[in-house]
Amino acid sequence: MGEDDVTLRVDSISKSFGDFSAVDDLSFNVRAGRIFGFLGPNGAGKTTTIRMIVGITIPDSGEIELFGKRINGTAQDHIGYLPEERGLYKKTKVVDQLRYFAALKNVPQKEADRRIDRWMDRMELSEWKNKKTTDLSKGMQQKIQFIATVLHDPDLLILDEPFSGLDPVNVEFMIDVLAEFRQSHKTVIFSTHLMETAERLCHDILLVNKGKKVLAGSLREVKESYGRNRVAIRVDGAHDLLNNFSGVESIEEKADEKILSMRSDADPQELLRSLVSSGATVTKFAYVEPTLNDIFIEQIGGAK
Amino acid sequence: MRKFLAVVKHEYRKVVLRWSFLIGTLLFPLLGLGFAVVPALIFSIKGEPTRIVIVDREGKLGPRIRSNLSPEKIAQKQAEALKKSSFEPTVDPKQSADSLKNLTEGFVFMPFDLNGKSDEQIRTELNSMAAEKKIDAYLIVPDDLGGKFEFLSRKAGDFVASGMLEDAVNDAVRSERLTEANISENTLKQINKKADIETKAIDEHGREKNSDALLAASFVIGLMIYISLTIYGQVILGAVVEEKETRIAEILFSSARPFELMLGKLVGVGLAGLTQLGIWVTSLALLVGFLMLQTDIAPLLAGAPHITPLMVGYFLLFFLLGYFLFASIFALIGSMVTTVQEGGQFAFPPIMVMLIGFYFSFAVIRDPSSPLSFWVSIAPFWAPITMPVRILAETPPFWQIALSISINTIAICGMVWLCARVYRVGMLMYGKRATLPEVWKWIREA
Repeated sequence: MGEDDVTLRVDSISKSFGDFSAVDDLSFNVRAGRIFGFLGPNGAGKTTTIRMIVGITIPDSGEIELFGKRINGTAQDHIGYLPEERGLYKKTKVVDQLRYFAALKNVPQKEADRRIDRWMDRMELSEWKNKKTTDLSKGMQQKIQFIATVLHDPDLLILDEPFSGLDPVNVEFMIDVLAEFRQSHKTVIFSTHLMETAERLCHDILLVNKGKKVLAGSLREVKESYGRNRVAIRVDGAHDLLNNFSGVESIEEKADEKILSMRSDADPQELLRSLVSSGATVTKFAYVEPTLNDIFIEQIGGAK
Repeated sequence: MRKFLAVVKHEYRKVVLRWSFLIGTLLFPLLGLGFAVVPALIFSIKGEPTRIVIVDREGKLGPRIRSNLSPEKIAQKQAEALKKSSFEPTVDPKQSADSLKNLTEGFVFMPFDLNGKSDEQIRTELNSMAAEKKIDAYLIVPDDLGGKFEFLSRKAGDFVASGMLEDAVNDAVRSERLTEANISENTLKQINKKADIETKAIDEHGREKNSDALLAASFVIGLMIYISLTIYGQVILGAVVEEKETRIAEILFSSARPFELMLGKLVGVGLAGLTQLGIWVTSLALLVGFLMLQTDIAPLLAGAPHITPLMVGYFLLFFLLGYFLFASIFALIGSMVTTVQEGGQFAFPPIMVMLIGFYFSFAVIRDPSSPLSFWVSIAPFWAPITMPVRILAETPPFWQIALSISINTIAICGMVWLCARVYRVGMLMYGKRATLPEVWKWIREA
């Protein structure tokens, strides 16, 4: 399989509840071996979309294909889904719960036991195997939930806010695990509202708002389309020059530098030349890529 | 199908491997054991006989009391008492008396020389003998019949012995008075004899059967089904609400079809209920068998209703019918509400329906072939409780049983269908309890 193999094809799906349109004509592709960031504010239709992908609900219209086939019961066995709101049976032993979840994904019991041991060992939870959920800390429960999601060795992993409530050590650990998944050419869809995390992990992003696609593409493309119009500078003096330079739209003061937003037709090089010739001491002059956070705020904030 | 079986296995283990199941399952047979076997065992432990001195200067009442306290007399008296209190009229007092003779602790009469002692001296002497544990009690008989008897005992708390003594004294006084009035004991017995009424039912084959025992057995059957339905309904409610509350439903629905999940849950918990009832029925059979072997008690059971394996089969079948009917209602409620407490409030109506069914079973016991009995024993929701009662009280024609089974099976299909529609939507609705119009909408639109 090449880098461009499409794992999941979502073709103009819509879903409404009564008068409320939760997802409206949404289309996107998720490519194999990549981490796909599914971003959007609360209530944007992320969870509704994910529920349709994992087969919990059926779209009113549109089609979802996994590995080129329409989604159905057997497709569910190839998807690992970690919902945002998640839980475990309170009074059931950890190992029994995991066996049950594996059985529901058609994993034979022996194989399931082997994998449970391996994952519990990896998560350093082996001694908790025969404990009940109520004996576990919140972080441990989250790890057990993650194990339940990957026990059937899914080809597509869908994680809804996977890091909420995890301590930094465990977040790093999870990120390692995700990297492994990617290397074995599996696909990860990863929904979050934490733009920093998304920026760090995702190859492709899809930003939705009010059930509609706002922007989509690889992180690279998205950032480039937001262009080279932001400059970070550290300069002594030349206050007036900066304020009066015609290409500068706004100046954001940081602790020891300024971020200039420039009009798209302005040339930052021109500004640099003016600064140097004015005799000001420029210690830093760098293009700033927009952060996902910036893009998010610009897109969603503007849409409001 | 494999996923369905996985759900069944999971739900079954979840119920059966709980302490509450173990305790509940054992408690019933143990209670039965407690009520039936323990008293028999305790009675079979003979107490120490009471060593008693009877102080009787006149020498009139003493011998009578003595003879009344002989083991034969006591046993005979107890057998008569048993006959009066028991619903079992076939007990032969003689036969029981023989068996009870061995069970009763008796009295040993201790010699005591009265000659030339004042009342005061006698008391002091007897009191010191009691203190030295040479005797256990003494009885001072008054000189005339109207006088006061005095019974002093080291073991005043032994109400069995005191009771027997009191009876013996009363009988002795009465006999003495009768003798004085020139009336013989036998004449009096003839006069006092009650008319003997024995109630028996006649079944459709014209055979006689005992109605009291049947009444008790029918009541127990009705109660057992009613209690089991309530318990397992609540188990289902709790299990459904847990999956909704913890959001496990979301993971489950992404793995298997909601219908598989719901039906698997009903079947798994139902099998657990069947296991419990099976254990109960088996232990009941063992218990009856054990009692039959105890020759002392066996005559009491001679008139027990004849319960055939077919009846046991019907009993379990109707339990299952009732279980699926009510469990699907409880599953529906569970998927509507957000917490167990909320579910508890909604559980009230179905429990009322069950309770009414249980009350109807009294009407069925009274007159199993009345039109009311016919209708409630085929009506959905009530038949699972009333039909087994009716079968035991007076087995109706087979077509009525078949009709009852079919009607309730159809009702189950309807309820499961309804429940499945509410379940698949309700389980994913967090935050607030669904209103009835909303639920109606889910049913229509699903």
